[in-house]
Amino acid sequence: MTTPSSRDLEQLSTYLDGQLSQSDRTRLEIRIKSDPALASALEELRQTRAFLRHTPQRRAPHNFTLTPKMAGIRPPVPRLVPVLSWASAAAMLLFIFTLGAGLVGQLSFGEAATMPAPNTFAGNSAAAPATAAPATIAPVVAAPAPMLPATAIVPSGGAANTPTPTEQASIMAVEQATPPAVSQAAQLQSAPKIQQKPANIWLFIWPALAVLLAVLALLVFWLNKRAFQRKNPHS
Amino acid sequence: MDESALILDAQHGDLQAFNTLVLAYQDVLYNTALRILNDDDQAADATQEAFLSAFRALNSYRGGSFRAWLLRTVTNACYAELRRKKRRPTTPLEPETADGEEVESPSWLADPHATPEESLDQAELEHAVQHCLQNLPEEFRAVVVLADIQGLDYSEVAIAVHKPLGTVKSRLARARLRLRACLQGFRELLPSAFRLEEESNL
Repeated sequence: MTTPSSRDLEQLSTYLDGQLSQSDRTRLEIRIKSDPALASALEELRQTRAFLRHTPQRRAPHNFTLTPKMAGIRPPVPRLVPVLSWASAAAMLLFIFTLGAGLVGQLSFGEAATMPAPNTFAGNSAAAPATAAPATIAPVVAAPAPMLPATAIVPSGGAANTPTPTEQASIMAVEQATPPAVSQAAQLQSAPKIQQKPANIWLFIWPALAVLLAVLALLVFWLNKRAFQRKNPHS
Repeated sequence: MDESALILDAQHGDLQAFNTLVLAYQDVLYNTALRILNDDDQAADATQEAFLSAFRALNSYRGGSFRAWLLRTVTNACYAELRRKKRRPTTPLEPETADGEEVESPSWLADPHATPEESLDQAELEHAVQHCLQNLPEEFRAVVVLADIQGLDYSEVAIAVHKPLGTVKSRLARARLRLRACLQGFRELLPSAFRLEEESNL
C-alpha cells in the first residue's frame, strides 16, 4: 500500500466525475481493486464531494432585475427623431446663412442705393440730356437725400413739380443742370469706392461665420451622439 | 420558458426578456458569489454587477451553456471584489460575541422551511463548508464551488473560469484534497439520510 501521488489523486477525482477516458478508467479500476490506499483516497474524495453537494442553497435576498435606468436604456424614440436632429443642424446652417446673407444684403442695399442712382442718373443725363425732369432733379436729389433716390425723384423735384413754362426753358434748364449733374455723379461715383471696402469685408465674414457656427453645431451634435453611444453600446 | 428565445430578445435590447433570465438564474449566481466571497452584501453586489455586465456584454454570448456564461460574469465580479477586499480589508461577516468570539451557528443562516433540528444541521453544514472554502486559494475555490456546489460539468466550469479543461480537472482535484482534510472533522454534521445513502454506495 503506497500513498497515492498527486497524479493518482487527480485521476481519482476525474474518475469520480466520470470524466476519464475508457482506457484510463479500466486501468484505474484495476489499480483501485489491488491498492487499498487508492480505494481509501477515492472514498474520501467521494465524501468530500457529497459534503459539498449538500451545502444548502440560499435564496437571493432580493430580485436582481435591471431597471431601464440601470441598463442605460432610454425610452424608445420614433425613427424620425435622429433624422430631425440632423435636420435641426442643417436648419441652423441655413438660418445662419440666410441671416448673414440678409444682413449682407441690407448693408449692400444701403450702399447700393447710393451707388446706382448717380450712375443711372449720370447715364441718363449723359445719354438723354434732353430729358428735362431727371436733369433738373439731379442736383436736388444728390444733395439732400442720397439714401432715397427713388423716392426723392418724385417729390423732391421742385423743378419737376413746378410746371415748366416752355420747352425751351426746360432745355435751358437741362443745359444749366447738366454740368452740376455730371459733377455730382462724379462725386457720388467716387464716394462708393470708399464705402465699398466694409461691404466687401462683411460679404466674406458673414458666410464664414455662418459656416463656422454650423460646423460647430454639427461637431457638438456628433460628439454628443458618440458619447451616448459609448455610454449605451446596445442602444 | 424558451431560454434561447429570451436570450435572443435580450440581445436585441429587450430588458423584460433579460429580467426573466435574471429571475431564473439569480439564485445560482447569488449562491456562487456567496460561497466565493463569504459575505452576503458583497455577494449581492457582485451578483448585481454580474447581471449588469452580462446585459451589456450579451452580444458576446455565442451559444452554449448560458448558465456557464452567466457564472463567468459573476466569477469575474467576485475576483474583482476579492482584489478590492485585499486592498481595503473589512471586518469578517461572522457575528461575534462581546468577547470577540465567533458565533458558531448563527441564526441568520437558518432556512425558515426546515424544522429546528434540520435548520441547525443545515446551518452547521453550511458554516463548515464556508469555513473550509475560505482556506482555499480563490482560483481553487471558484472551481470547487462551481463543480461541487453548483453542479456544473467540467466544460461548463472551464467556460465559467475561462481556463482549459485540464486546469479545471487539476484544480478541482487539488481543491477536493484540501477540503477533505478540513471537512473530516465535520463528518458527523452530514444529514443522517445522506450518511445512509453514502454507505449504500460503498
